[in-house]
Amino acid sequence: MNTLKTPDAPRSERTSKRDRVADAAAAKPRQLYTVANPKKNATLTFVTGLFTVYCLLPLVWLLINATKSQADFISSFGLSFGSQFSLWQNIVDVFTFQDGIFSRWLLNTLLYVGVGATVSTALAALGGYALAKLRFTGKKVFLLIVLGSISVPGIALAIPQFLLFANLGLTNTPWAILIPSFINPFGLYLMWVFSAQAVPTGLLEAAKIDGAGEFRTFAQIALPMLTPAAITVLLFSFVSIWNNYFLPLIMLKDPNWYPLTIGIDQWNKMGSSAGNGILIQNLVLTASLLTIIPLIIAFLSLQRYWQSGLALGAVKG
Amino acid sequence: MFIAPFAVLFALVFIIPIGFAAYLSLFQDKLIGGQVFVGLSNYIQLFGDAKFWNGVIRVMVFTAIQVPVMLIVAMSLAMALDSKRLHGTKFMRISVFLPYAVPAIVSTLMWGFMMGTKYGLIGNLNEAVGTSIDPFRPDTTMISIGIMITWAFTGYNMLIFYSALKAVPHELYEAAAIDGATEFQVVKMIKLPALRGSLVVTIIFSIIGTFQMFNEPQILSSMVSNSGITTYYTPNLYAYNLAFTGSQQGYAAALALVMAAITIAIAYVVQIRGMKDALE
Amino acid sequence: MNGRMRVAAASLLALSLTLTACSGTSGQASTDDVKLTVWSWDGTVEAAVEGFQEEHPNITVDVVNAGSSYDEYKALDNAIQAGSGVPDIVMFEYFSIPYFAIPGKLTDLSEQAAGFKDDYVPAAWNNVSIDGGVYALPSDYGPAAMFYNQATFEKAGVTEAPTTWDEFYEAAKKIHALGDEYYITNDSADIFMLLSLIWQAGGRPFDVDGTNVSIDFEGAETTQAVEYWQKLLDEGLINTEIAGWSDEWNRALNDGTLATQITGGWLTSTLPERAPDAAGDFRVAPLPQWEEGPQVGAENGGSAMGIPEASQNKEAAFLFLEYFTHGDGVQTRVDEGAFVPNTKILESDEFRNQTNEYFGDQTYNAVLAQASENVATGWQYPPFFEWARTAYGDISADYYSTGNGSLAEILDEWKTQMTDYGNEQGFTVK
Repeated sequence: MNTLKTPDAPRSERTSKRDRVADAAAAKPRQLYTVANPKKNATLTFVTGLFTVYCLLPLVWLLINATKSQADFISSFGLSFGSQFSLWQNIVDVFTFQDGIFSRWLLNTLLYVGVGATVSTALAALGGYALAKLRFTGKKVFLLIVLGSISVPGIALAIPQFLLFANLGLTNTPWAILIPSFINPFGLYLMWVFSAQAVPTGLLEAAKIDGAGEFRTFAQIALPMLTPAAITVLLFSFVSIWNNYFLPLIMLKDPNWYPLTIGIDQWNKMGSSAGNGILIQNLVLTASLLTIIPLIIAFLSLQRYWQSGLALGAVKG
Repeated sequence: MFIAPFAVLFALVFIIPIGFAAYLSLFQDKLIGGQVFVGLSNYIQLFGDAKFWNGVIRVMVFTAIQVPVMLIVAMSLAMALDSKRLHGTKFMRISVFLPYAVPAIVSTLMWGFMMGTKYGLIGNLNEAVGTSIDPFRPDTTMISIGIMITWAFTGYNMLIFYSALKAVPHELYEAAAIDGATEFQVVKMIKLPALRGSLVVTIIFSIIGTFQMFNEPQILSSMVSNSGITTYYTPNLYAYNLAFTGSQQGYAAALALVMAAITIAIAYVVQIRGMKDALE
Repeated sequence: MNGRMRVAAASLLALSLTLTACSGTSGQASTDDVKLTVWSWDGTVEAAVEGFQEEHPNITVDVVNAGSSYDEYKALDNAIQAGSGVPDIVMFEYFSIPYFAIPGKLTDLSEQAAGFKDDYVPAAWNNVSIDGGVYALPSDYGPAAMFYNQATFEKAGVTEAPTTWDEFYEAAKKIHALGDEYYITNDSADIFMLLSLIWQAGGRPFDVDGTNVSIDFEGAETTQAVEYWQKLLDEGLINTEIAGWSDEWNRALNDGTLATQITGGWLTSTLPERAPDAAGDFRVAPLPQWEEGPQVGAENGGSAMGIPEASQNKEAAFLFLEYFTHGDGVQTRVDEGAFVPNTKILESDEFRNQTNEYFGDQTYNAVLAQASENVATGWQYPPFFEWARTAYGDISADYYSTGNGSLAEILDEWKTQMTDYGNEQGFTVK
């Protein structure tokens, strides 16, 4: 085998190796401080800790205030609990308010995220692999256009996208949200970088010599190697679709198709529109909490994928 | 063709709408008389439109201040977390990244309430100390938005830097230690060069993000009063209001395209160096 | 049969107005199954739908809340432009009707609604009549009135509710003397309040004739109202920090630090929720007057329902519209708390004698019914008012947060921007 062009091992493996060294060092009792395990520094911990407080404060605030009734919310100190613990009542109210439309919004969001993230990841994987490993004309131009498209303001697209979809009769349907979410230029870029690095061309060629078709080669050889990156792209899509606000704001007028973000926005505006004095800040806050909990769970459980994916996107270049 | 599905949808979602926007920008929609072809007059009008430049300058000033601050903080955090000199590294790393998961509507709501003078923490502070701080006055609203955006994205950028630092071969640090290098020298000679590539990426994404600012001012404008948030506060907000309130879609399309051109130009300037190796 | 005649007229109309691009059939016989879509943010619509469907089992009515009025107009414009998803019946604030009616986006109902005129208070009917056509039917009304907190008044030594603007000014001084946070009212660029003062004083700044619009804030009556309000602002008697509908506003109404609200009668429905602690303290009074003589009122808000030109079910839509704004649906909505401009309701004893604990058992409807009858007619909104009010917000933001400038300068700049915009949009604005 020609070893001159062996690709780098995936970064994730490297980092984990280093972590293992560190963990092993940390596990030894009363060992000397080493480069891998230096002396802890209280000042540095304190300064970083301050920033951590800044990051967690709003979430703590939200958690506390979601347990207050409307009356307590407007009368009690922001970081203390109200006179009664109303979290369960608030959750019940969120799910029953306006005939339980919140559940519908939750399901819509799951639909948009589930379908959108899956399809966009699959498209990005196929496209990224093709860009990295297959020869076709106009590759560079295509890539430049796709990367350029990341910089196009959403609004530049939104108006014509809206008119286009309206002419196709797609506005006010889930398709208006799904179709744009299928395209994830950044995901394509990640997949391309990762394919270039992690999938040895030699293996692909060997497979083709054995008579495997283009697609079988991809599915059997490349795809397993691309899985970690695919999960990263999936995560990014997941977050960006879950947090999507601008597109549904324009495309949807039927509350039955709203995602959570637009629904919460509407509830928040309720008290501030003339002739509609429903004040439901307690529900707005509780709904916000319910909206971010799934995201936080996804974050915590899939942490390592973030890192490896971001490393790919960033280290190149 | 593996790329076909992506390319077809990409055309539908990006290329056709941009072409359509270019077409629309040559017309004017009149309430009386409908669409009229006006050539480049939308663009000419735009260049003399004080409201437009007001927004452009605002996001540029914001970008010039917020992006460096955020990235320096993110870099310092990444190095601190990577140094293994902290207690509770893992907990902090997760906590700092967590805000990235929070939708803009939720983060704006939380900060909007917290910084509100009525039932926010600021209100509590004012009551306790007798001050009259109001974060949402015309001259401070942008700073408040800066606090929200920095909160949301510092962790994301930190993780990019952190990943880049993780990729530094461990032997380098060993060698530096043997040579008796100080911590400062290690940062300067090893860590900063390792972050160069990721810096390009983070700068580009941050600039694109701030130039497209829309969610925070749009949500805040209905939450707080007298905050100075006008309908042309940022170029994106202006385009949105032009298109959907004044039904001036042609003009809005022209504005959006000009903004896209400005953003792409800046992104490419930053990107050219970063892309060079990648395209080989 | 009157009803049958109307249906016949409606079918004729629907036939004659068949749209070129429509795929559906128009002028369907009223026995076909029809599905109507109503866009409205009014909570009483659902209640009326039930009664309507008992009468018309073949018509299903789907009520969609398309968001705030501002969002709804945007959505309607977008749907009309896209040629799909246009609802059959839409709720409009009065000021937005010309915007849709003048470019031909609304159906002229003058034939079917002939003879309805006297069933509504004159000013409400005036709102839906444009250039000889009738483009919507009034569905609720906002007569301007003065809501005042009697407890705060007593604390400040204001024994009688002010009946003239001069007395209001004197009361404002007494109330502010109670403490820094006490004000007679708030105003943070509230254009509708300012216009209601001008309206009541007899100013008519907008004149619309087809596509010709004239704007004038220099008239004597307009100037009188503007200068009066400017005086109160200059002397620091108005809280300019608090915008209506904001959390701060709820709080200040709740603790009694805002003594009055000069606003539409619709506040009755939401005030109890916004200011629960002030229960029993608030009362409703007519607007203070500019001069001696018969009471003159003004309007602040209210809405109507219209049928978009692009609706595919105009005939069935009119049936619902009639039921909702003119027929049996009206009483159902009143029972739900709607305030309507129908004279039949406003003059009924049952309505006028209604009391409310929140307003200290006052027969508040009698005050508001009278205020509705008192609204002066002849007011017009320019056909781009939705845009204009947004522009007003931008122009006045600086003055209300820093105090630089004056109302007169704001109105002058507003006129300039409206003129530019209107001319650009194909109107002739002077």
